Amino acid sequence: MHQFGPDPWICGLVRIQPQKIRNPFRVTKLYPKPVSSKRTNGQLTKQRSFLFFFPVVSSLPSSISPIFALVASAPICTVSSPLSMADVDEEDYVYFGTPIEREEEISSRKRKAIAEPGTLRSLPPWKQEVTDEEGRRRFHGAFTGGYSAGYYNTVGSKEGWTPQTFTSSRKNRAEVKKQNIYSFLDEDDLKDIGGNTLETSMQYDTFGFTAAEFARKKAEEEQKKRPSAIPGPAPDEIVLPASSSIGMRLLMKMGWRQGHSIKDSNAESLSEIRREARKAFMALSSNKAEPDISEKDADGTDEFPDMSIDVLRNSENTPVYVLNPKQDMYGLGYDPFKHAPEFRDSKRLRESKSRETKRSKVHMGSLLSSNSKKYAPGFGIGALEELDAEDEDIYASGFDYEQTEVELEPSKAVSSSSGDRMLQLEHKKRGSLLGFKLASDSDYKLERFYPPAIPSNFRPIHKFGAPLDQTLKNYNSVPPPDAPPPENTNLRLLIEGSAAMVARCGKSIEDLYMEKSKTNPLFLFLKSGAEGYDYYVRKLWENKQKFVDNLKPAEKLTAENRGRILGERPLASTTSRVNDVSVKAREVINTQSSHGDTVTKPISLADLPDSAIKQFKHDPAKQERFELFLKEKYQGGLRASGTRSSTSTSTMSEADRARERLDFEAAAEAIEKGKQTIQISAPSTDHTKDLLGFGEDRFVSSTLIENSETKLEETNVVYPKREQFEWRPSPILCKRFDLIDPYMGKPPPVPRPRSKMDSLIFLPEIFKSSNKEDAKSPIGNSLEASKSGLKEAEAEPSASEADVAPTSPKNVERPVDLYKAIFSDDSDDDEADAGPALNQALNPVKSSEGANKTLNRLVAGDFLESLGKELGLEVPPGSIPGPSLNANTVSLPEEQKSCKGGDDRDNTPFPKVKETKSKDYGSTVDSSREKKRSHSKHHRRRSRTPDLDPDSGSDSDSHRRHRSRSKKRHDRRDRSRSRDSESSDEAYMNRKERRKKHHSRHHEHKKKDYGDKYSDKKRRS
Amino acid sequence: MASSGWELAVNESGVLKGHEGAVLAVRFNGDGNYCLTCGKDRTLRLWNPHRGIHIKTYKSHAREVRDVHVTTDNAKLVSCGGDRQLFYWDVSSGRVIRKFRGHDSEVNSVKFNEYNAVVVSAGYDRSVRAFDCRSQSTEPIQIIDTFQDSVMSVHLTKTEIIAGCVDGTVRTFDIRMGRELVDQLGHPVNCISLSNDANCVLASCLDSTLRLLDRSTGELLQEYKGHKCKSYKMDCCLTNTDAHVVSGSEDGFIYFWDLVDASIVSSFRAHSSVVTSVSYHPKDVCMLTSSVDGTIKVWRK
Repeated sequence: MHQFGPDPWICGLVRIQPQKIRNPFRVTKLYPKPVSSKRTNGQLTKQRSFLFFFPVVSSLPSSISPIFALVASAPICTVSSPLSMADVDEEDYVYFGTPIEREEEISSRKRKAIAEPGTLRSLPPWKQEVTDEEGRRRFHGAFTGGYSAGYYNTVGSKEGWTPQTFTSSRKNRAEVKKQNIYSFLDEDDLKDIGGNTLETSMQYDTFGFTAAEFARKKAEEEQKKRPSAIPGPAPDEIVLPASSSIGMRLLMKMGWRQGHSIKDSNAESLSEIRREARKAFMALSSNKAEPDISEKDADGTDEFPDMSIDVLRNSENTPVYVLNPKQDMYGLGYDPFKHAPEFRDSKRLRESKSRETKRSKVHMGSLLSSNSKKYAPGFGIGALEELDAEDEDIYASGFDYEQTEVELEPSKAVSSSSGDRMLQLEHKKRGSLLGFKLASDSDYKLERFYPPAIPSNFRPIHKFGAPLDQTLKNYNSVPPPDAPPPENTNLRLLIEGSAAMVARCGKSIEDLYMEKSKTNPLFLFLKSGAEGYDYYVRKLWENKQKFVDNLKPAEKLTAENRGRILGERPLASTTSRVNDVSVKAREVINTQSSHGDTVTKPISLADLPDSAIKQFKHDPAKQERFELFLKEKYQGGLRASGTRSSTSTSTMSEADRARERLDFEAAAEAIEKGKQTIQISAPSTDHTKDLLGFGEDRFVSSTLIENSETKLEETNVVYPKREQFEWRPSPILCKRFDLIDPYMGKPPPVPRPRSKMDSLIFLPEIFKSSNKEDAKSPIGNSLEASKSGLKEAEAEPSASEADVAPTSPKNVERPVDLYKAIFSDDSDDDEADAGPALNQALNPVKSSEGANKTLNRLVAGDFLESLGKELGLEVPPGSIPGPSLNANTVSLPEEQKSCKGGDDRDNTPFPKVKETKSKDYGSTVDSSREKKRSHSKHHRRRSRTPDLDPDSGSDSDSHRRHRSRSKKRHDRRDRSRSRDSESSDEAYMNRKERRKKHHSRHHEHKKKDYGDKYSDKKRRS
Repeated sequence: MASSGWELAVNESGVLKGHEGAVLAVRFNGDGNYCLTCGKDRTLRLWNPHRGIHIKTYKSHAREVRDVHVTTDNAKLVSCGGDRQLFYWDVSSGRVIRKFRGHDSEVNSVKFNEYNAVVVSAGYDRSVRAFDCRSQSTEPIQIIDTFQDSVMSVHLTKTEIIAGCVDGTVRTFDIRMGRELVDQLGHPVNCISLSNDANCVLASCLDSTLRLLDRSTGELLQEYKGHKCKSYKMDCCLTNTDAHVVSGSEDGFIYFWDLVDASIVSSFRAHSSVVTSVSYHPKDVCMLTSSVDGTIKVWRK
């Protein structure tokens, strides 16, 4: 019997019931078990064996089978072949593996568990025990808190199956987690393993094994080609111990041999194999070997059992795994026949048919005849399979062959692929889908819109009937004669107002007025020839002119114009134009029709009186520069702003140049103004008049004006007057208003030293602005009130002393005290706060006319010169042309900045800070005192508001308030920007002087007035 | 001249009584459905003037209340007066949310800006101050102290702060440009009012003259005379159509002028005493007047 000696590894037989291995492909699990020694037939053989489970799962998807076919295809080279089952006696079986446990043994626990419920059922619920089918306590209820399966009723471990977050930081590096086989075993598994370690075995690695086997075979083939000393197949096989996978070994034992496809004599399995083969054939229908097979296959079934073996022998290996090459144009994974698998087959058939056409010619005839047109020729199925009713059909899903038969007419079938194309072409030609017909008549008609017919006389250029420009030009070109305003002020105002309206709103308003004039005699002036008509026409023209001027930049908006409108500073071409900015700004701001500013009327210098031009006689060099300046300014009527800087000589400092330029500007402006100029430029007492007048206009009170009777011709300041200053909104304010901060990113304003010279130097500007206002304002003479106020102011000097005397008895002092006032110590300031001493220190300046005069004299004389020398500045020794007050406000943004800057004066780099300061203080105190007066008035006005309490209006109360107020103001005054403090000190003092007188006088008046009111009110209440 | 076809609110349609003592200001809310009044009795009152209903009284001021303004969403009020603080109220609850300090003396006028984020007030302390409603700070975010006298009235546009001052100026602070425009009128300005198109500003001066200025050029467009305004703080305004100018008078009269030709279209006795405030409905022909006599009157066409 055992000739070779029973090697327990190889010579054992597995006793397996045939039923179970009927389908060897259905191996689902191989479960290794260490097998303990077994006694069979009294022999004790220690064997290591395996227990195989072959659960039969008949309904497994067929796709698995190719894989196992591959497994089976691996050749096994063992020496076990000599053993044959027939030889072995039943008694001599050697058993491999653990015998399957008897049912009773296995399920002892289980039975117990099953049985127990029966017994437990009698128990109360809380004593019942829940067990799993293995009989283990697996209950983990919320209340028992006891047993749990796995990790809290999940998988076996804390980490198992729970999603993990990967965190790794620089400090806390995440460790690389190594998984091993143990991490996948639960405790039961580990218990089963015992002390043994788990290893991987090639035996079960079917694919790896196959690969190795393949490599070996390759080598063997090479060996064959090579001449070798030992003939025959590879000697390696003899030498090397061959190992084969367990599945293969099993197959071998079942009679399978290498290179054969697995085949059973059973017809069922045969058909299954055939099906596989057929599928493979379908895919690899181009294979040359197949026709033979199909031929043979198609011959008949009578010799089937033998045939099958033959066939299988012939086919070396079953074509195993077929990759379906992608041949269509669909996207990956897209299955157009997903929901209609029938069509897939038909499609495939059509394709394969076209491929088969050649081949099928061979046996087409027979097929066609034999199948009696049941199947279309060239069907892949027909090639492999004959008609067999009992054979299970892959097309059994209900595909109707009749349909395809219709499609594939024999005539067409000859070139069906071209026929397909033909069909498509036909569809295209018809423009309709298959199965659809084109309608003979359609409702849809393409509607066409034809362009309108262009009239023959149409010209593609539009002409405006009355061009706007021309009307405007008319206004420009033909100015109506200047008419004197009518005597009647009301009429004049009315005319002006309506002219403005008409100019603004157009002719329609005029018509409206015309209508009105029928009923209202006031509007009679609209009729030509009536009183005021000329004036109206003139005014209308002026207004329109203005309107046009305003329009112009919009029409031609160059960058420069725009910049000017926006108040941008033009790019300085040379650095010498330091103050050009301010000049520009003033030009923009001050003149109402500033847009026409670039074009100025050419002034021939010759026409001007000599005195006008020779304003700087005392300084020939300067005079020369001035004339040059004039020439450049009016060069060809167009102001050559770029060349202006050339006037300055290199010897002058920047500041000097700037100042001089301002002087020149002012003088030139004055020249333009004609006769007024002469007065202004004359450095005489007229200055004071102007200054006084100006000082007046700022503080005119309505009552003053109403009461005044006299008139002042020259220095009337016209209201309303517009000035413009820089103002810095806080960023947060801009944010809250949802606006962009205009000063965003810009540094805070640079504090500028407020030297005395600054204020003096910029005096000339003032005239310009105020004079311009005079000339330009359409309601020039309208405000008699203001005029009268000013006039009164002028008339005052004589009366002032009498007026002032009672209020400030100590104020008559020597004019020399001016110096003291200007250069007084800080201690004076303190005194100012202190009270009584204040008057003493300041009164001389503020109230005495003598001081005023002295000041003027000094201004004219050498005082400034000496002061200028002291300050290190060049001062014109003679006249200071036309001082006035508002220039600095207008022309000096930087100046303002410096004022805004607060206490920056202390930081001034200039040497004479102290003087300036002290003097400022002097004037400030002065002004505050002055303010006090004006405020007392306003306060009364305020307290006269209806909320007036009888006691709050009392004089004592208000006095007290004013005192504190004046103090407060005094402090604030230094910090805050105020036009007054910027303006020239002299002028300021003059003004104060005036103011004081005014108020002292009207104080009385008002008091009385209010007194009446009070009593009135009291009576009423 | 009343034949021009304009509808004027000259017929008395109702009287709102409740204030004890003088009513210092009356203001329509944004849509004209409600009005707010304030007065000497240190209260603010919310009314429905069309139905004559007194809705709510706001008490917290310690001194007289001079001006009040309501947000566009009607959720918040701001009021000012003699106690040198601005009171920022919640309309529905009637509580003071915040008090803005900073003014050194009485506050004459107060306004919200367009976004209700800033309150701008004008005070007797010669300053205009802006306060931030959105922050907790009660300190002003901007102080404008270029005025030389008591600031009587303040108005806000989207980009500008306009204030009228007793120093005779109407000052426009253009936040966008960073410029201050000073229009000197020569007479103390009592009250300013903007035309509905915001192109003109109407300034009531203490020389009993209203002056209409073109805001873009600063030009004086018209003057309106006839009423009496010399010492009291009185309001003026333009009608909803901008066709007429309205102002009270110290003798208790109301005056209507034609905007263009400055003729007195209508004048009638409205109150027994000084008319302190007039407010015109933003859309309808309806006007409110308040007076020292403690009444608020509703006028319709």
